[in-house]
Amino acid sequence: MGLLSDPSISTQSKLVDGLARHVRKVCLVLYVAGVVWFFCLALPEFNHGTYLSENALSPGLVYPEIRVDANRLAIQLLEELHRERTNHVSTTPHAWIAAKMNEFGLETHTHNYTLRYPFGGGKEYHGKNVYGILRAPRIASTEGIVFTAPYRAASSVHTDISPSVPLLLAFADFARRKNYWAKDLIFLVTEQEQLGMQAWLEAYHDGDRVPDANRTYLRPGNLPARAGSLQAALNIEVQDLEIDYVDVRIEGLNGKLPNLDMFNLVQRIMAREGIASGYKQAPRKKRRHSQSVYEQNLRGMLSMLASQASGVPTGNHGLFHRYRIDALTIAAARRQTHATLKGNPGSAAVPLLKAIEGISRSLNNLLERFHQSFFFYVIVNNDRYISIGDYMPALVALVACAFVKAYLKWATLPSASEMEAAAAAASAAGSESELPSPGEAEPDEPFDLPYGSVLIYLVATLAIGYLCNVLPLQQYFLEIPMGAAPLTTSVLSFLSLIGFILPFVVVLPPGGLELLHVAFLLIYGCAMIAIGLLNFALGFFVAVLTVPLVISLETSEENTKSSFRNSIRLLTLILNPMMIVYVIVLAMTFYQFPELPMQKIMLRAATAAMDASAYGLIDSVIYGNFLYFVVSTVLLPLWILCWTLALSKRRDYADYLDFDEAPSPQPPAPPAQRQAKLKRN
Amino acid sequence: MDAKFIKLLLLGGAARFYFCRTSLGTVIGNRVEFATPLNSHKRMQEGIFLLQNGIDPYQGDVVHETPLILSALSGLFRNFPQFLPVFYILLDIFTAALLYMMAQRFVRKKQDQQNVETKEYATDTTELQFSGSDKMDIPELVIVAYLFNPLTVLSCVGMTSTVFSNLFLAAFLYCLTKGLLLPCLLILAFETVRSFYPVVLLAPLLLTFSGRSIRSGFLISLLFAACCLVISVANFFVLNSWNFLDGTLGFIFYFRDLQPNIGLFWYFFTEMFEHFRIMFLITFQLNATVLYLLPLSIKLRREPLLLATILVALMAVFRAYPSLGDVGFYLALLPLWKRCWKFMAHGFVVFTFFIVTLSMMGVLWHLWIYAGSANANFYFGATLAFSTGQIFLITDLLFAHVKRDFCLFNGQKILIDGEEAKIVLK
Repeated sequence: MGLLSDPSISTQSKLVDGLARHVRKVCLVLYVAGVVWFFCLALPEFNHGTYLSENALSPGLVYPEIRVDANRLAIQLLEELHRERTNHVSTTPHAWIAAKMNEFGLETHTHNYTLRYPFGGGKEYHGKNVYGILRAPRIASTEGIVFTAPYRAASSVHTDISPSVPLLLAFADFARRKNYWAKDLIFLVTEQEQLGMQAWLEAYHDGDRVPDANRTYLRPGNLPARAGSLQAALNIEVQDLEIDYVDVRIEGLNGKLPNLDMFNLVQRIMAREGIASGYKQAPRKKRRHSQSVYEQNLRGMLSMLASQASGVPTGNHGLFHRYRIDALTIAAARRQTHATLKGNPGSAAVPLLKAIEGISRSLNNLLERFHQSFFFYVIVNNDRYISIGDYMPALVALVACAFVKAYLKWATLPSASEMEAAAAAASAAGSESELPSPGEAEPDEPFDLPYGSVLIYLVATLAIGYLCNVLPLQQYFLEIPMGAAPLTTSVLSFLSLIGFILPFVVVLPPGGLELLHVAFLLIYGCAMIAIGLLNFALGFFVAVLTVPLVISLETSEENTKSSFRNSIRLLTLILNPMMIVYVIVLAMTFYQFPELPMQKIMLRAATAAMDASAYGLIDSVIYGNFLYFVVSTVLLPLWILCWTLALSKRRDYADYLDFDEAPSPQPPAPPAQRQAKLKRN
Repeated sequence: MDAKFIKLLLLGGAARFYFCRTSLGTVIGNRVEFATPLNSHKRMQEGIFLLQNGIDPYQGDVVHETPLILSALSGLFRNFPQFLPVFYILLDIFTAALLYMMAQRFVRKKQDQQNVETKEYATDTTELQFSGSDKMDIPELVIVAYLFNPLTVLSCVGMTSTVFSNLFLAAFLYCLTKGLLLPCLLILAFETVRSFYPVVLLAPLLLTFSGRSIRSGFLISLLFAACCLVISVANFFVLNSWNFLDGTLGFIFYFRDLQPNIGLFWYFFTEMFEHFRIMFLITFQLNATVLYLLPLSIKLRREPLLLATILVALMAVFRAYPSLGDVGFYLALLPLWKRCWKFMAHGFVVFTFFIVTLSMMGVLWHLWIYAGSANANFYFGATLAFSTGQIFLITDLLFAHVKRDFCLFNGQKILIDGEEAKIVLK
């Protein structure tokens, strides 16, 4: 009860004063604790073995019935498809797919959609998906499961995954003959990578909505037939019928994951069929014993978080998550070594078909949506995971730094007497005679902090961030015949330039910087919590990068060396969101093309980063990826505040400027500065 | 009425008007944090539509507004729906004006009282006493806190009927400080029939008007009961049926709608076995009404307005369907106690709590309802933390008042054996 009914009269607490003197150390301890905790998570003691918690799934309870004839059908279909592909080099053989679905007795439909590409004067792209519904014999069409296979045209730059379609059709033919389905099965072939999938999902869920012509860039159209509420989806990407291993991909849009039960289910069934499968499964190389279990775990964790952080789905499954449909991709890789393992081509795909059958029969058993197991987890190994309760403390410890520092800053905000002393010193030193009014109340009155001007400053920085999000999509910019990448980058760099200049132009009244510091810390903490809840990986990485800067930022001029201050300023400049994006892209370019000279790599990274910023924007308007929003509207304003604090320009010696309010950023003419922005490659 | 006051009112109105013209209104109108089953604009529309078509709105389970309000607004809703936002904005501004005048009166009273007691005060307590500038400062702070608090602004933009509740409460407080017994009783009775919990405000009313005499207290209570009866009968004559009682008061008491909100009821009552429901209903409702009433009334018998402030705040925390608009209202009353602020130790912590939990509520609601990955526990965690923050604030205010009272007469620096003294509360 002492917390609430503190009996001491004085408001100054010795504990707070003591802590305030060591605020950096306290924060540093928290930071280190958070990072150490994160690294501990890779230890086997800190993570748990996976288990199936939804009993209805009962994986492997039935014997697989799919036989070698399905495999023969798949081979035959693959040959036919290859013949079709010679005629359709850059298009999808819709007619052939639809004809096959019809032949197998599915209720076949096609779905048309249009993409109105906003940039470069505007263009329209058309696309077409084919899907067949197998109506459940046991129940009315109230629930459905989706099996999808993306189709890539022969001219595509990506890996050829055309065997997925024959595999899907062969399974459809098998499923058609069975009478135990309790859910409609939808067999869907999409084109144009994720765009087709997104269009189909939008059409499925709100196809009857009349689109707002100006705001929507993807016009999904409507579907002629549906199959109830979708419970789960399985995306199949197979490079060949003879497979080496299966990579299970789970990361969805904005880092969302399917229920852990679904992943476990796939792992179990794959294990039963003897297929090497796993999360981020890679071809088996020479055995390397050098890696300890801990190192493997840590690598697994970090690679999962890295792919989650960008928020870009690793496959078509990721778009389902937005509609509360649990989905994942099984990506099978072509078998490379024919010499040692001589498989029988006549039955090569049987294990995979059996696995798909097993998964679909388990999904068929579901009585309600996946809800038992975890939605927030990090996979450390194929059979070990970390749940949200275990990994959240790491982020909380990092964010706690900001709040602890904010509290201690607040508790030691300059009081009236100090402020007056400072003012007197300033007026004695400078030629300017008077300070603006807020301090000159009665002597006993506590010093009035300039809440108003700090608030206006905050709003101005947030407005800059907001403009980043809105401005590139304004009609008058889109009409400029300029590519998406240069347009986005120029707008972004212009706005960050405004942010860069802002603290030079606007100087806050005395006490304003300290107050701004507290406000910055609070906003930073809240933003990190929100981002971390929505996408842990992104929040954690941003926090790990930025918390040291947040800890070391200091506005007071006393007892800090100028070299230290300058290094903080430099650090702040380096941690500009645009710089970070550029550095990330640079690192990736270097990793991919190590043979190029440095100059070329830097140039290439610059163009790649520009492209990435445009992709980020397009992703955010078409798919709803919020990475662009986070970087431009949350992190950029925070950086501007950071920069203001690192500069610590004071009214004392810049009094004559007398800018009270921030200038509102005007819509700019396209400027010439180029800087890199936003990652995603 | 000085120019600054008018300017502030206009500015507050302009801010509300600006947000009304954006799409924010519909967004807020659908947020559970602002629009509860009791105050949502949609339900009001539904009720008025039913009333106009001669259907008893209370037969269904949607409308929980009193018949008097429904029939009073039905003309406006039907004929001038485009002016509705302006109407709500005007009401909100009127609330702010009432609070301003109430604060002015309150400060004047305090200063009078101070002038009488000034000899008894200890020497180093000038900063605890109301100073000359407070006459302007405190009302201004009150009005700023009401007009520019995002919670009240959004609650008005979302056109929740919390705007009416706030208006009635402000009018009640104004009449209370002005010493107008009958309007006070009528307003309180009206608001009690509307939303039940304000019945606790009878305590500050009795303390203000009855003095020490139990007889007059008893008489006023009787008068209050009569007022409630009169208003109920007036409500009855709108539809010629008593259904509304179950639709409004019954709906509040029995907590029939489990839609999540920022309060504490919904989670417990979704989890509960049905046969414990009555017991917990009574417990929760006692907690929201009479549990704190008696001890607080005894402790704060000399400060009816502080009692009212704290009761309004407790109501906003513990009532069955609280909304952020209620929270915004009592936050606007805090500047009245500016002279206690020195002793409020948790102000910053509470503020941090508020912004963290409010931002988390949005995120967790998204994760629960739209993304489907989080669940009710996450969201309830955030609302529980929010309520905890509010409790911190209320207790802090209470203790600050107690400390100020003590220090005012005993001085701020009390040393016992060279060490700083601590107050032991017994």
